[in-house]
Amino acid sequence: MKKKRKILGFKQYIIIFLCIITLNFFIPRLMPGDPFTFLSAEEGQDHTAFSSEDIERHKKYYGLDQPLWQQYISYVRNLLKGDLGYSIHYKEEVLTLVLSRIAWTLSLVIASVLLSAAIGVFLGTISAYYRNSSLDKILYSGLITLSEVPSFIIALVMLFYFAAHLKLFPLSGGMSHFVDFSSRWEMIKDILLHAFLPLMALTITRIGEFYLLARNSMISILDKAYIKTARGKGLKRRRILFYHALRNAIPPIVTRIFLSFGGALGGAVLVENVFNYPGVGRLMRQGVFFRDYPLIQGIFVVMTLFVLVMNYTADAIYKKLDPRVS
Amino acid sequence: MIKKALLEVKNLEVDYPYGTEKITAVREVSFTIEEGNVLGIIGESGSGKTSIALALMGLHDKAVETNGEILYNDEYLHTLSEKALNKYRWRDIAIVFQNHLDVLNPVMTIREQILEAIKKHLNLGKKEMDKKIKELLKMVHLEEKWCHAYPHQLSGGMRQKVLIAMSLACDPKLLIVDEPTTALDAISKEEILQLLEGLHKNKKFAMLLISHDMYVIQRLSNKIMVMYEGRVLEEGVTKDVLENPMHVYTRGLLDASLDINPYQDLWGIPEGNKDEETAGCIFQERCYQKKESCREKIPELQYVSLERKVACNRGGIITLLEGRHIHKTYGDGRNPIIACNNCSIKVRSGEIVALIGQSGSGKTTLATILSGLLEEDGGEVLFDEKSVLGNNFTSRKKGIQIIFQDPFSATNGGFTVEEIVKEPLDILKSDTKEEKNRMVKKALEEVQLPITKDFLQRKCSSLSGGQRQRLAIARGLVMEPKLLIADEISSMLDPSTKANVLRLLKGLQNKFGFAMLYITHDLALARKISNKVYIMYQGNIIEEGSACEVFEKPQSDYGKRLLGV
Repeated sequence: MKKKRKILGFKQYIIIFLCIITLNFFIPRLMPGDPFTFLSAEEGQDHTAFSSEDIERHKKYYGLDQPLWQQYISYVRNLLKGDLGYSIHYKEEVLTLVLSRIAWTLSLVIASVLLSAAIGVFLGTISAYYRNSSLDKILYSGLITLSEVPSFIIALVMLFYFAAHLKLFPLSGGMSHFVDFSSRWEMIKDILLHAFLPLMALTITRIGEFYLLARNSMISILDKAYIKTARGKGLKRRRILFYHALRNAIPPIVTRIFLSFGGALGGAVLVENVFNYPGVGRLMRQGVFFRDYPLIQGIFVVMTLFVLVMNYTADAIYKKLDPRVS
Repeated sequence: MIKKALLEVKNLEVDYPYGTEKITAVREVSFTIEEGNVLGIIGESGSGKTSIALALMGLHDKAVETNGEILYNDEYLHTLSEKALNKYRWRDIAIVFQNHLDVLNPVMTIREQILEAIKKHLNLGKKEMDKKIKELLKMVHLEEKWCHAYPHQLSGGMRQKVLIAMSLACDPKLLIVDEPTTALDAISKEEILQLLEGLHKNKKFAMLLISHDMYVIQRLSNKIMVMYEGRVLEEGVTKDVLENPMHVYTRGLLDASLDINPYQDLWGIPEGNKDEETAGCIFQERCYQKKESCREKIPELQYVSLERKVACNRGGIITLLEGRHIHKTYGDGRNPIIACNNCSIKVRSGEIVALIGQSGSGKTTLATILSGLLEEDGGEVLFDEKSVLGNNFTSRKKGIQIIFQDPFSATNGGFTVEEIVKEPLDILKSDTKEEKNRMVKKALEEVQLPITKDFLQRKCSSLSGGQRQRLAIARGLVMEPKLLIADEISSMLDPSTKANVLRLLKGLQNKFGFAMLYITHDLALARKISNKVYIMYQGNIIEEGSACEVFEKPQSDYGKRLLGV
């Protein structure tokens, strides 16, 4: 609470953004291979279907024959115009591609972060109130262990057990194909059923983070004099815990929620591939596999923007939540 | 009129966990607060005052163990569940917590925090609640605009007012006030005291007032309870206790209070060394008048007079020296000069008593009789309840020592420094040679004289007046006296030497806790150092009382003339 978050200005965010898109430009180009070796290849195979003239022609078409710095300048110029380029593999605007998939990913990410925050904070509060009891100890060690397991491993385990073994959930995809839904509700149910396991996989790994944060802040807050004041007033335990105490713990938690979107996005990329979920993560895997530079870059730019906006929002909200930060 | 008891506490005990052990913060504390009365609890930090307050409201953490009975208005509060207790909290017993930034919730407005208590306990409509909040703020002289402020936007004084307003939101019958004026400047402090005084007068709630500030207790309470390390050492009517403390600790607290003793030098109670745990009296390592038995026996809080209780194995501060009806006449039958006429005087342990009066009033005669060096014609002198006859107390350790006005005639110029100090020990013959040398050096060190071999062998005639007076004091100290009679010891010294010698003496007195009878005609000095004052005039003691009383409001005509009041 007393630690002041360093609050960045808008200008600093611009500089960070420029640094990131620069890295974003160079990293794919440092990978071995190029788009045209893979353009017509099947996954896992490595033979070329293009003649060297074809490749030259294609490179010229996509501007890849120019020196790197010229490519870079035109990339930035286009980016500022809102043009993310044209996917070499999908033969489509990158922006259109990303936008068609992003809703799947974002809903997964946002839902998982909010859900893990809610569960984590609730359990953390309970744990802090009953600190050093066996309940606290079980919660503590259990959640710490869970938070150390990467989300894709949890995803795999869940996939094998709940989907493949128990057949409670569909194995893959975002919704059932070739089905006429009798009502809108049926469709939503189908989408939720598909989203459940990926969502859980992403949520479970994040609970520990919020649990620890909430538990630690609540422990120090519950020792504060104003909690005694509240008890002295004869208020109910529920009000003291979830109003007096939690309100003081909320600012860092809300900040953390926004900061978590970045990490959750990374997790989603992997989990989507486990469940073959039609989000940006799977799109990216395709992009990387085919060395589809514009696509990879485009996805990165969108993700970067999302994370930066979230960080900025975290700062802005922090100021609002704590009357002492002015 | 006997008021109805509102709160009765019996044998309260509070234990804090400390690793596998526990620390007892409060033990065997019992008290009663009647409707509309104010009980003040005073004591040094860590004496358990706040622990009592929290125990009364059941606000201790779960790990803290509280035992004893708390009876409020025929309801045993200590038997109630948290939920049942919530009905009493704030509605019946409210508390003004010690003021610091964290005592109010930092993310809630003042209004919200006052309002929630009202909402919880009083069944009021929205309009009535608004009105109530306005009333409360007005009552503590706080502008209405502050109700939308957050705690960090308030000053310390304003926060204290908010705490008071909040505590009175549900018109409690008992208000606990914990250190209402700490960390406030003098003006805010006075304002808060006046506010509490006024509110108490109007609202007639009973109050448990906790403070380490004697002045606050003096201003607001009718009864007082003095606490030390979780126990009550003295209790009684505030006015009486402050005028005539019966426990060494209480007197120490009073001496350390500038508001009550504006003229005296500031001396705290010396810290004892608590290296060994003893089963006996908790105060014994800091006590001036402890006996061997104090190490074994825990004193009980007992009545020593009608409304006064003291927990001391010796029944409170003992009277060390008492002169009863002393009479002394010089000269023959035809021309009698009455030097002392029916003089009665008392010196309690650890106390500095000044005997003042102009030259020829009989002060020195009385002092010499009290020491046993001069025989009285009538009356008797008792030291520690035994008669003083001849040199029976001056010639032994832990007895009486006297230091005279003129150091040149009191110390033999032909003796060396060492001989002077060692002489009484030589006469006693009770210590070995090494012991004696050690004691001599220690005494010289205490009076800040050098202990080099060269100095020890110097002839007294080569020393200055100040040095010789210190030497005389060292000779007195070597006998570890319980009472030191100092007869005008500073009148022959220059002002700077006088200041040094007196500071030294007062420091030694505070450290060793001996009592002192200080005879002087220097009024300013008497006011500065003494707890009690006797005024002598033409062989009679015409006035006596605490230094404050006598100097502020002398009763006798002569006293008024002498003190120019």
